[in-house]
Amino acid sequence: MAGEKRSSHFFDLKIPLGFLLSFYGLLLLLYGLFGPSHIYGKSLGLNVNLIWGIVILAVGSLFLGFAHFRQKNSNQIVKKD
Amino acid sequence: MNPIISLSFIDYLILAAYLVITLVVGYALKKYMKSSEDFFLSGRSLPSWITSLAFLSANLGALEVIGMVANSAKYGILTVHFYWIGAIPAMIFLGLFMMPFYYNTKVRSVPEYLKLRYNEATRGVNAFSFAIMTLLMSGISMYAMALIFRMMLGWSLTSSILLSALVVLIYVFFGGLSSSIYNEVIQFFLIWLGLLPAVYVGLKAVGGFSGLAARLPETFLHAWKNMGSAAANPMGVDWMGVVLGLGFVLSFGYWTTDFLVVQRTLASENISAARRTPIMAAFPKMLVPLIVVVPGLLAVAILPEYSLALQGSATPDYNSALILLLAHYLPNGVLGLAITGLLASFMSGMAGNVTAFNTVWTYDIYGTYIKKNMPDKHYLMMGKLATIFGVLFSIGTAYIVQSFPNLMDYMQLIFSFFNAPLFATFLLGMFWKKATPWGGFFGLLSGILMAAGHYVLYKLNIIHYSSEMAANFFQAWWAWLTDFGVTILVSLFTRKKAESELKGLVYSLTPRTKGSEMFWRRPEVWGSIALIVMVILNIIFW
Repeated sequence: MAGEKRSSHFFDLKIPLGFLLSFYGLLLLLYGLFGPSHIYGKSLGLNVNLIWGIVILAVGSLFLGFAHFRQKNSNQIVKKD
Repeated sequence: MNPIISLSFIDYLILAAYLVITLVVGYALKKYMKSSEDFFLSGRSLPSWITSLAFLSANLGALEVIGMVANSAKYGILTVHFYWIGAIPAMIFLGLFMMPFYYNTKVRSVPEYLKLRYNEATRGVNAFSFAIMTLLMSGISMYAMALIFRMMLGWSLTSSILLSALVVLIYVFFGGLSSSIYNEVIQFFLIWLGLLPAVYVGLKAVGGFSGLAARLPETFLHAWKNMGSAAANPMGVDWMGVVLGLGFVLSFGYWTTDFLVVQRTLASENISAARRTPIMAAFPKMLVPLIVVVPGLLAVAILPEYSLALQGSATPDYNSALILLLAHYLPNGVLGLAITGLLASFMSGMAGNVTAFNTVWTYDIYGTYIKKNMPDKHYLMMGKLATIFGVLFSIGTAYIVQSFPNLMDYMQLIFSFFNAPLFATFLLGMFWKKATPWGGFFGLLSGILMAAGHYVLYKLNIIHYSSEMAANFFQAWWAWLTDFGVTILVSLFTRKKAESELKGLVYSLTPRTKGSEMFWRRPEVWGSIALIVMVILNIIFW
């Protein structure tokens, strides 16, 4: 059954997507923490890089988490067979 | 010309990371491309969350984003009609009623369905017009991107055209439709994550939605209230034009027959995923106004060049509204992310057209008229070659469209020519078993000719409309009606296909299979929910 299913045909998109977003999140977070602070006049004093970096990092890790969980799951199914 | 935006190192780093990941994904998909179905239809193996997001993103190209922000800076909340009534019913209709015909007949393209239902000639008309249309569209998005990058960053036209063409060429060449779809999903996240910070900061600056409303004229705030007559609203269209032209003909024509979007549903892993694809896409689609209509309204409320236009004392360049707003609110860092989101959506718009083109070219033109019955490997190779000359042709058309003053009107014009009449051909083909092969052919041809005739009469000032938009809506409507009428008329006098040949192609001759899934996986349930949400949204913004 598991062998017939064609969804294993391609690699899981969640992995590259998760890596890209986590990278962006981390980058923005660090830039928000250590980068110049005079640029936030534009955004009404809000450190958007820091805040948004955390949000994107969370989204990215969520994807990686799901991908990891799924892979583990499908490995178990294969073992049972 | 001085660039509006100055990027720093971190912005370029974000941009570069995106380019690297698309190339890696494209290259990694290379080893899965064993047959032509893998290349053109992703081996019909993708889960519905991926196809849904790709289905939506294929239409959320940057040209669309920038054009719709411009629209809402010009017309206000009326722009939501393109996202709600002008999309949702058609997407649900595709999922519930049309998808079984596309997916279960195992056709590989929209023209191929026309061949089975009508005849070779009908397929030919559609295949050739579609191939030309996709190359034009791909050229348009490339040119628009180059224009914006020149304005924004000071890059030269040629270098941005060549850079994007090269990246698209590489990843489509290796990964085919899968590359294109994966990139669309990545783009979906980037465009949302890139634009939301500007929306948030902008809304905070004006004091939330109520503060925004207080700064705008009354006609900008209602979707339907001022639709009684064309003169009472800024768009110059009445409710009839919106419902018939946009909501019915243009929207159904685009969402249900344009192979660019239909191809994404065909990549699904099974029929139920295929039916869920457009329906699940309807939910994020309804939210898109948050990142396109709200920025347009913010531009009017905040940027002086647009607020002055309200009193008629200036005619600003609406197409730069989004860029100016981004430059106004976003510091480096998130700014780079927003620019990357725009770049991603330009490139996926281009890639979407290229993949639709190489499929129709290989299956419906090359494999039908030039070299029939070759081994599958041959067509796979042809698809890869078609990708190369598709991209080269698009570069050519990118330079041709330089001579057209208004890109959005040009796009709507193309749709009203090709998609609007095609929808009549499909409607009759799928739901009226007496439609004959030649009825389909002459109907489609005369619908296209009607659109052309109408366009000439409008441009010669023989027919008048209160706006360009109204002209497009009604042109679509008349083209549809002509196709519908002529198909029926010719069908009455020409030979029908035998009913046995139409099994699985026409609604009344197709046995309905009852879904055995749990109710929360059924497309009917989700379709109804989407429709209810749409009605509620329209009432809220009435």
